[in-house]
Amino acid sequence: MSSSFPARQVRRPREPGPVHGVSRRGILRSGLAGAGALAAAGSLAGCASPASASGASDLNVWDLFQGGDGMLMDEMIEAVSAGPDGFSVERTILDWGPSYYTKLAMSAAGGRASDVAVLHLSRLAGYAPGGLLDPFDLDLLAEFGVSEKDFTPAVWSRTQHAGTVYAIPLDVHPFIVFYDREAADRAGLLDPAGELAPMGSPQAMLDAGKALAEATGGSGILFGHVTDTAQNWRQFAALYAQTGASFTLPDGGPPDIDVDAAVRVVDFMKQLFDGKTNPNNLDYNGAMANFLGGRGGMVMLGEWELPTLKKSGIPLGAAPFPQVFDRPAVYTDSHSFVLPHQKDPDPDRRREAHRYIAQIIKQSLTWASAGHIPAYQPVLAEPGYTALHPQSSYADAGEVAVLDPPNWFVGAGSNFQNRMCQPLQAALMGNASAEKAVRQMIREADTLLRQPNPVA
Amino acid sequence: MTTTAPIGADADLPAGAPSPGAGDARPPRREDRHRPGTGLLFVLPFLIVFALFLVWPVVHGLWMSFTDTSLAIRDTTFVGFDNYAEAFGDPDVWSSLGNTAVFTLISCVPLVLVALAMALLVHSGLAGQWVWRLAFFAPYLLPVTVVTLIWTWLYQPDLGLGNQLLTTLGLEPVGWLSDEAVTMWAVAALTVWWTVGFNFLLYLSALQSLPSTYDEAAALDGAGAWRRLWSVTLPQLRRTTVLVAMLQILASLKVFDQIYILTKGGPNGSTRPILEYVYDVGFTGYRLGYASAVSYLFFALVIIVSVAQLRFFRKED
Repeated sequence: MSSSFPARQVRRPREPGPVHGVSRRGILRSGLAGAGALAAAGSLAGCASPASASGASDLNVWDLFQGGDGMLMDEMIEAVSAGPDGFSVERTILDWGPSYYTKLAMSAAGGRASDVAVLHLSRLAGYAPGGLLDPFDLDLLAEFGVSEKDFTPAVWSRTQHAGTVYAIPLDVHPFIVFYDREAADRAGLLDPAGELAPMGSPQAMLDAGKALAEATGGSGILFGHVTDTAQNWRQFAALYAQTGASFTLPDGGPPDIDVDAAVRVVDFMKQLFDGKTNPNNLDYNGAMANFLGGRGGMVMLGEWELPTLKKSGIPLGAAPFPQVFDRPAVYTDSHSFVLPHQKDPDPDRRREAHRYIAQIIKQSLTWASAGHIPAYQPVLAEPGYTALHPQSSYADAGEVAVLDPPNWFVGAGSNFQNRMCQPLQAALMGNASAEKAVRQMIREADTLLRQPNPVA
Repeated sequence: MTTTAPIGADADLPAGAPSPGAGDARPPRREDRHRPGTGLLFVLPFLIVFALFLVWPVVHGLWMSFTDTSLAIRDTTFVGFDNYAEAFGDPDVWSSLGNTAVFTLISCVPLVLVALAMALLVHSGLAGQWVWRLAFFAPYLLPVTVVTLIWTWLYQPDLGLGNQLLTTLGLEPVGWLSDEAVTMWAVAALTVWWTVGFNFLLYLSALQSLPSTYDEAAALDGAGAWRRLWSVTLPQLRRTTVLVAMLQILASLKVFDQIYILTKGGPNGSTRPILEYVYDVGFTGYRLGYASAVSYLFFALVIIVSVAQLRFFRKED
């Protein structure tokens, strides 16, 4: 039997807002659904229709997208909610950061989590091993047209734990550079096509900073890191990966870090942000404000700032994080969909969750308009994407994506990133030598590694 | 329950005195005393909430501190004093305790002295009393997020008012939130601005309730304004000072929110108070058992400080 008829019967308009517990609206809607079911006179019985499957309710979705991202996600949900096979989605938006991950972990530990949730891929190692996530059924996903070949290997390899897939990436969001096209042109940094020319060496980047400072009459390269709990780490991780050295965090410690390469990177960071050509004392908002005010030619930020920067009217260019060491590498994270652990999952709802994720991912052209690189590769090939500018100019970042080294305590919004940022900040501010900062980073990582794993 | 009623109070009543209900003019106190359940009924709602949200968490937290409770996993095992042993050897515990102590020291002194100075100024009869009272107390009414947002911009390295003023005066700009030697002072300055109004009110009301006779007598005897302040007013404010200082030390020991929003404990952990460490370990790191142990150590410390304070002030009294 086709699922379309009964689905229409019980499909209800999506409403944002928290859904847990019984709300007045919930009761009203259940009543309506019941009436609809009666009207269908038993034709519903035994039918595995999407929304009526468990007799209840909409697909529960948790995410952390606010502001512009949140509106785009609304748009995508609306798109997949239309039509006879549409979904009825209850979306819960939670505040991004440590608190989101605390709540997600608690709900999964309780076994009564939402049907679908968003997780930064860098966080997977803290969630999958402890059973906080349920695995995906890849055959089911393939049935809905999504499979491994649709993702870059760099990203797909991070969706697994012990050979099982626990996450389906929606996007790749790299740490990149934005620049003022006119200033970069005056500084002679553009290639004939009008894009930022490759740098290729630390010296080239230092020179670029000087040239940009001259061109703007202010600063060259801006970077906001003071009191920030992620920025320094993002920059360090990108540059460190460019040296080709590995950074791994084996359980029980000690961390496996190439000290020489790390010191080389921190030394370069100190040189680049010397406090003269490029200011070394900006916080995140200060760097944004300086760039928006034309007091700097280039700024190192996440691509998610694109909508804000675009609104400014600056002739905006964007490029992957410049390669200055031996190989290209871009620090990245990825919003991915996961199935938080449910003690007693309803197979039909699970099926719906798979179908929902497949459908949403195919909508990621909308998502790309905020600056994110869609993880689902077929979207990148669409003409609509190549027309997006400057998004398409850093689309390759997904190929050389570097994520946090996996362990339970790492990832977006984690203590680990905060602890790595602190010594780096001290180094950039001139309060610590590169060697001292790296030694402290290793010590901090070692401390975290020696703690018992609370999620396994 | 009957023991709470002073039995001796009955002694002055003649035996077989008429019950208060019998048209007697005496207030019906005796009746209450002899029906023990009544009072309990009225405080029951409070007791339930108190037991549920204070006593139980305190007991449960103590239990958790002896286990490896995780925020994300159901199973827990009893680990005895392992968490406490780990806490004693954890340099982050000691450094964050040290930060808390430094903050308490550098915030309490101005919070008492500035409040006293402001109260004396207002009490001395400045014109436009209500303006001063409002101005001194207004910051206290702001929520912590607003206060911190304002000060984050004041402390901006190159756009902020702080450094603008310094550079206008020909001084070097300061890394308010980035220089390890400065940031705790910046946090203390914010805290003083934000919360001094409360202590100011306590002082002001104490000043207003002082009898003016001593002051007048001293003035007649020829004591000048300073002399009267030192020898008459301040000694009379002793009890208020003790109260303000004790409340302030406890409040400063519990510092968390403004630091968490302003600096996240940075730069380089130099402003991270012990409560932020507990938060980091427990909620960001999921290790509730260990976080409980650390917070119980801190709890013990707070009790020790409070008892010591009490002893100290009582002795001097």
